[in-house]
Amino acid sequence: MNRKPVAVAALLLCLWTAQAFSEFRFPMPEFESGYTHPQMNLPPVSKTSPVVDVTLLLAGLALTAWSVLKLRSRRMVFMIALFSVWYFGFYRKGCVCAVGSLQNVLAAFLLPDFAVPLIVSLFFLIPLVFALYFGRVFCAAVCPLGAIQEMCAVYPVQLSYPVQSMLGLFSYAYLGITVLSIYMGAGFLICRYDPFVGFFRQGASFNMFLAGGILLLTGVFIARPYCRFLCPYGVLLRWASRFSKWHCTITPAECIQCRLCESSCPYGAIVVPTPEDRPVDRLTGAKRFGRLLLIAPLIVVVAAGAGFVSHEILARLHPTVWLAEHVTEAEQGRLTEPSLDLDAFRAGKQSSAELYAEANALKERFKYASACFGGFMGLVVCGKLIRLSTIRKSKDYEIDRGECLSCARCFAYCPVESNNAQEKEQ
Amino acid sequence: MRAVSRIVRLKATMPKKKNNKRRFTVSELIWKSAVSVAVISGLFSLTVSVLLVANYLQVTAISPLDNPQLLALRQQLAAAPDADEKLVAQVRLMDLLARKAFFTSQAHLKMGGYLLLGGVIVLVMAIRTAMKYNPRLPNPEGPPAGESYWLSRTHAKEIVAFVGMVWVIVALLAAYLTPLDLPPPGDVPSAPAAESAISYPDWETMQKNWPSFRGPGGYGVAFYTTAPTEWDVESGKNIKWKTDIPLPGANSPVVWDKRIFLSGATAEKREVYCFDTETGQLQWSHALDKMPGTPDTPPDVGEETGFAASTLAVQGDRVMALFANGDLVCYDAAGTLKWGKNLGVPDNHYGHSSSLIAYQNLLFVQYDQRKNGKLFALDIADGKEAWVVNREKISWASPACVPTKFGMELVLNSEKNVDAYDPLKGTLVWQLKCLDGEVAPSPAYGGGMFFVANDNATSTAIKFNADEKTPKPEIAWQWDQSLPDVSSPVCADKFFFMATSRGEIICLNSADGSEGWVQEFDDGFYVSPILVGDLIYVVDKKGTAFVFKAGVPYTQMAKASLGDEVLATPAFLDGRIYVRTVKNLMCISN
Repeated sequence: MNRKPVAVAALLLCLWTAQAFSEFRFPMPEFESGYTHPQMNLPPVSKTSPVVDVTLLLAGLALTAWSVLKLRSRRMVFMIALFSVWYFGFYRKGCVCAVGSLQNVLAAFLLPDFAVPLIVSLFFLIPLVFALYFGRVFCAAVCPLGAIQEMCAVYPVQLSYPVQSMLGLFSYAYLGITVLSIYMGAGFLICRYDPFVGFFRQGASFNMFLAGGILLLTGVFIARPYCRFLCPYGVLLRWASRFSKWHCTITPAECIQCRLCESSCPYGAIVVPTPEDRPVDRLTGAKRFGRLLLIAPLIVVVAAGAGFVSHEILARLHPTVWLAEHVTEAEQGRLTEPSLDLDAFRAGKQSSAELYAEANALKERFKYASACFGGFMGLVVCGKLIRLSTIRKSKDYEIDRGECLSCARCFAYCPVESNNAQEKEQ
Repeated sequence: MRAVSRIVRLKATMPKKKNNKRRFTVSELIWKSAVSVAVISGLFSLTVSVLLVANYLQVTAISPLDNPQLLALRQQLAAAPDADEKLVAQVRLMDLLARKAFFTSQAHLKMGGYLLLGGVIVLVMAIRTAMKYNPRLPNPEGPPAGESYWLSRTHAKEIVAFVGMVWVIVALLAAYLTPLDLPPPGDVPSAPAAESAISYPDWETMQKNWPSFRGPGGYGVAFYTTAPTEWDVESGKNIKWKTDIPLPGANSPVVWDKRIFLSGATAEKREVYCFDTETGQLQWSHALDKMPGTPDTPPDVGEETGFAASTLAVQGDRVMALFANGDLVCYDAAGTLKWGKNLGVPDNHYGHSSSLIAYQNLLFVQYDQRKNGKLFALDIADGKEAWVVNREKISWASPACVPTKFGMELVLNSEKNVDAYDPLKGTLVWQLKCLDGEVAPSPAYGGGMFFVANDNATSTAIKFNADEKTPKPEIAWQWDQSLPDVSSPVCADKFFFMATSRGEIICLNSADGSEGWVQEFDDGFYVSPILVGDLIYVVDKKGTAFVFKAGVPYTQMAKASLGDEVLATPAFLDGRIYVRTVKNLMCISN
């Protein structure tokens, strides 16, 4: 890989910790001499027009699609990723972002009084439309969260297929919890727990910096852990990408089955040719599959029941319930540590009784919402098992359109690619 | 390293011609250099990370303005009547140093962040360079996937099913282990007033004693209507007895039957005393032992507040005492310790001064602090919490337990509000925002109205609705001239009286707040005026007692010295006054 992109990345990353510790607050000195503190001057709000944002998003996606599908250049993809980190990350402070826009769109669907701005809708829809045509080109280079992880993935290792399948479930869980949280009015969790936005904005809590740091450090070896195993928007992109009209391929021509690309993809997105020999005969396989289909409703019901039972844990996601629990603990003397939340509550007009009434009502609502979440997770597990039980034959080394992040790594490993290039040169 | 070197040498034999598409270039020299840089930058980053975390923890633990030296100086400055320029300069210097130290530490943290970032960038670049010049070349090993292909799919199914089961089990376990216990709506999290293991005196019996600061109910009205108006400490005229108090304390005497209770404390020692009302002899004295939670170092307290400012509460044969470090003890009449606990060192910059009060089986502790203030109701029998409510603001005032037409109300002043609670349940009955500043005076009550006052605020008369069962407080009138900052007001039937630290006594008409009279004296008043019959008794800081008629105009009935400085409010019982001066306890009797 060229050193230039790395150097540019290094310069961009210099901005990381500029105000990383701005969380500290310090009371202003109190003067009795009549001195008045100068008025605080805040930097002007970014004047970038939303039209520019959308235009750059479209341009970035189109350029990435062209780089991956036509140019087949990893270097180009990497350069676009660097630009995305700078513009959508540091310059635009990670907002507006397609990943977070999912919540706005969900809120517009689920909450009667919530309107979603046009720009946010576009940020939600455009990457999905591109995924339907070109695969996950948004993940490849345009998403700042993905791009920053891509830069850190310097020694990626492949995870085994079972482990990857298992970890993939967590992004569905995050999606389910996001929906639950929005439906219950518990807030936008994706934004609240965005591990990288602290770097982009040069300010976050120590814990969020730590979480972001751990993810980036993990990403050195397990490439893009957030994109693959947590990103809720990635779930939608994965679904859309499976039906993509044009998707990049490992080889530009016919696969010669040299197996050189087998270990090239750190995302486990290369599907190897299906072996001819089957582990069990067709009838046995069909019986097993039938049994799985039969117990699938039971799995969903059990999961829904588990969700229903654990509604008290999920209810704590809601700030009101969380506060009510803390106020209870404080009033019962079990919580003695000073807390800003408790101080704020005490300074407000709401009484404890009113808070408890509100929290109890929410707790009741969480019962059914949590059951739905549990049922959704049951469906996900069943869907995953069904998918793993069905055999889709592939003769060549192909790309798994859902998992592929269009990073263009595998191109360099294909000798057909090389021959084509030489032929062109000649 | 040898094995790696061998691989590098092997790869070095590959053609080095650069291919535009397949960039597998091998260079041992660059690889080795990059690895060295990576190792060094990795170690550097790790070291900086450890130092950063340590510094972060240190910075978050520091509260520069709570520097003990600075606090002591500020307290000294606050206590000084006239600003000492030298002291002011010293405080400013200390303040500046504290802030400098904090911001220097923050600057180090920021610099560390940059160093770490630099280290990480170099590390990433070095690893990328190393990977570029010693790439992991595609090397498909073994036969094409066959059995392993199906095996991995089977394992994938198993692991997915397993994770699904784990989720269900974890959800069930978590639901069982971490229940969300919220009180039902409309209820406060409090235990009902349990039946006490001891019998408690009724209200009438309480009135015939002097069970708390400012008498029965703590609002400054004596049950008995006669008290001596003539005495002479020097000649001993009408002085029944006079006795020394071992340790200092600003708390006032409380009396039950034939016993007077006081406490005294220094930074090292805390004691509770019981004196005989007839002879003044010390019946028993107990020094407090260290209890769980008792701090090793005494809290910072104001010089005038001291370590034993809270007046004790006595209820039948139990007496309870609270000290500045949060130690709360209960003795029986014979002096046997029944229970003791530490309530936590109060976060209070002048020191805790709120007095105790008891009603039925409950002892009430107004534990207002800068943060995490509480109002405790403790069972006198065993000290267990009957209920606790959070308090929002700090204060130095004492609670009053007042029989109103709406029932018994526990009324508390704080920095902003007057709060009334149901003493048995702890529910807030009414609240009115009418105070401000550092509130030390306690509420007064009379003629169906409450009266509160504090310097830097306004004095307020609070009236209530006549008809309904639920009290609805309303400001009747306010008066904002000279107001008390330590002494509590008192109410006679048609007048409110206040004694200020500047040496004024003010009489206001309770009907409309108009001035009855304002009388100026040579010295200020810390002692709270007490209504005895139709007379008001009050003592100035130097120990001169004034007795005047509770009416208009100002009519002084008596003036007599107590022979010493007085900070404590005397106790008035049938024909007797029990006075605590800074050194002695004495009984004045006709």
